[in-house]
Amino acid sequence: MKKFINSPQNLIEEMLEGFVAANSNKVRRLETERVLVRKDAPVQGKVGIVTGGGSGHKPAFIGYIGKGLVDAVAVGDIFAAPPVQRAYEAIKAANGGKGVLLCIGNYSGDIMNFGMAKELAEAEGIPVETVVVNDDVASSPKERMDNRRGVAGEVILWKIAGALAEEGADLQKLKEVGERAVFNTRSMGVAHTPCVLPTTGKPSFEIGEDEMEIGVGHHGEPGIQRTKMMSADEVSELLTLKVIEDLPFKSGDEVVVLINGLGSTSLLEMYICFRKVNQILADHNIKVHRTYVGEFFTSLEMGGFSVTLTKLDDELKRLIDAPCDGVHFIQH
Amino acid sequence: MTMEKIPFEKIKEAFSKVVENLEKNRQYLNDLDSPIGDSDHGESVCNAFQKVKEAVDKFPADRRDIGALLQEAGKAIIFSGGAAMGPLYGTAFMDAGKAVVGKEELNKEDVLAMWKAFAQGIQRRGQVQPGEKTMYDTIYPSLQAMEKAFSEGKSLQEMLQEAIKAAKAGMESTKDMLSKRGRSSRLGERSIGHIDPGAASSYFIIEAFFGSLIE
Repeated sequence: MKKFINSPQNLIEEMLEGFVAANSNKVRRLETERVLVRKDAPVQGKVGIVTGGGSGHKPAFIGYIGKGLVDAVAVGDIFAAPPVQRAYEAIKAANGGKGVLLCIGNYSGDIMNFGMAKELAEAEGIPVETVVVNDDVASSPKERMDNRRGVAGEVILWKIAGALAEEGADLQKLKEVGERAVFNTRSMGVAHTPCVLPTTGKPSFEIGEDEMEIGVGHHGEPGIQRTKMMSADEVSELLTLKVIEDLPFKSGDEVVVLINGLGSTSLLEMYICFRKVNQILADHNIKVHRTYVGEFFTSLEMGGFSVTLTKLDDELKRLIDAPCDGVHFIQH
Repeated sequence: MTMEKIPFEKIKEAFSKVVENLEKNRQYLNDLDSPIGDSDHGESVCNAFQKVKEAVDKFPADRRDIGALLQEAGKAIIFSGGAAMGPLYGTAFMDAGKAVVGKEELNKEDVLAMWKAFAQGIQRRGQVQPGEKTMYDTIYPSLQAMEKAFSEGKSLQEMLQEAIKAAKAGMESTKDMLSKRGRSSRLGERSIGHIDPGAASSYFIIEAFFGSLIE
């Protein structure tokens, strides 16, 4: 394992120390817990947006702290859900009197820890609602959507919920729009190289030099098929068609496209892939309203990328277009 | 050694044995987690039980309440554990503690009540059934074995021995199961052929905890 770290035990603490120091204009750390919040949190009169999960997904989750995005993040260990106490402190720190919307991925650890934190917060009189992201079409058949993983689609939820909260919407409205955004978001990924877990020094999976895993999860969870390497066009087509047919996205739909690098795939490759995704969407008469290409939700340095589409209505369009000022996600 | 009752000190000591056993198997648990998860179960569970040990060590020396001790252990896992195992083990120890609160020593009935509450805690928090390839597949058979031994009038020592034996068999039975819970459930058929890491950590906890009580 070649990594610039000091010790596996301290890597998250040291990363956070550096992160907070570098971005002290936007974030601060709670004294009591491993929770990062918007510098001006809690923002009075605004519903707090809280997220969190395992570390190793930079810029998620902490890179999305900021105006028009996320108010507080409970930071877990590498790929492991944060404990209850931490999630609870994040909720309290984000509550500006109008309650808190939890935006989390569909992983049993996150569901249980944030679920127990929600119970503790509610017992203290803080209203809390949860939106669970389950956008990964490869992780379960459509009949069992509630078993699907949340992947890069979480970024879309943060953007939309964050913008709506900034407009002053109440908690119920946020839950309703958040769930609509999630329902209309579908993703699928591919990986050809594992990441190496800095805590154990081991790769997240093993795979041949000429192979790739289609439908991989963003912790390196196996996907639906292992095949020989394909060209950018072939793999982009495969992923995009699977995503299109799942909702399904139809002729005349307007969408956001998110091409998300999993850590070590270059922007050069991602743009080659987006070129093909864009052609396929045009062939299907699906209109691209906005495109994001880059690293939004990585798996350490895994090699690969995912394709995410979100179908927009007028409200979602307004929210996706709203400005935001996150540490690693700025939109004017 | 034959014994009828387990004193407070034995329970306290058992937590040290649990930590030792988990540490010894840290890498093995990571390795089990590798084909079906993200190879960190050993890290998560060892770190959480280190916190448990700290909480147990801090427990007031003049307070001999086994129920309260177990609840402190549970709280430590819930508050600092994280991952899925945090709420699961945490809830289980909390519930186990509630079942024997105020007791300075445990007789056969108490041990059974404690273990039943522990198993039900896992079941309640994880909404899990036997056969879903989880820690419950270790814990539930061990409870059944303990209940059976109890109803047959066997000694406390035998009850614990049989619970350990059944836990081991339960853990091994997860190898051929299809995962229906957690991250590995998305693997479908590919989850078959590996012992569930949660089932394994549960076995190491049971092996050390019950094992040290009958030493």
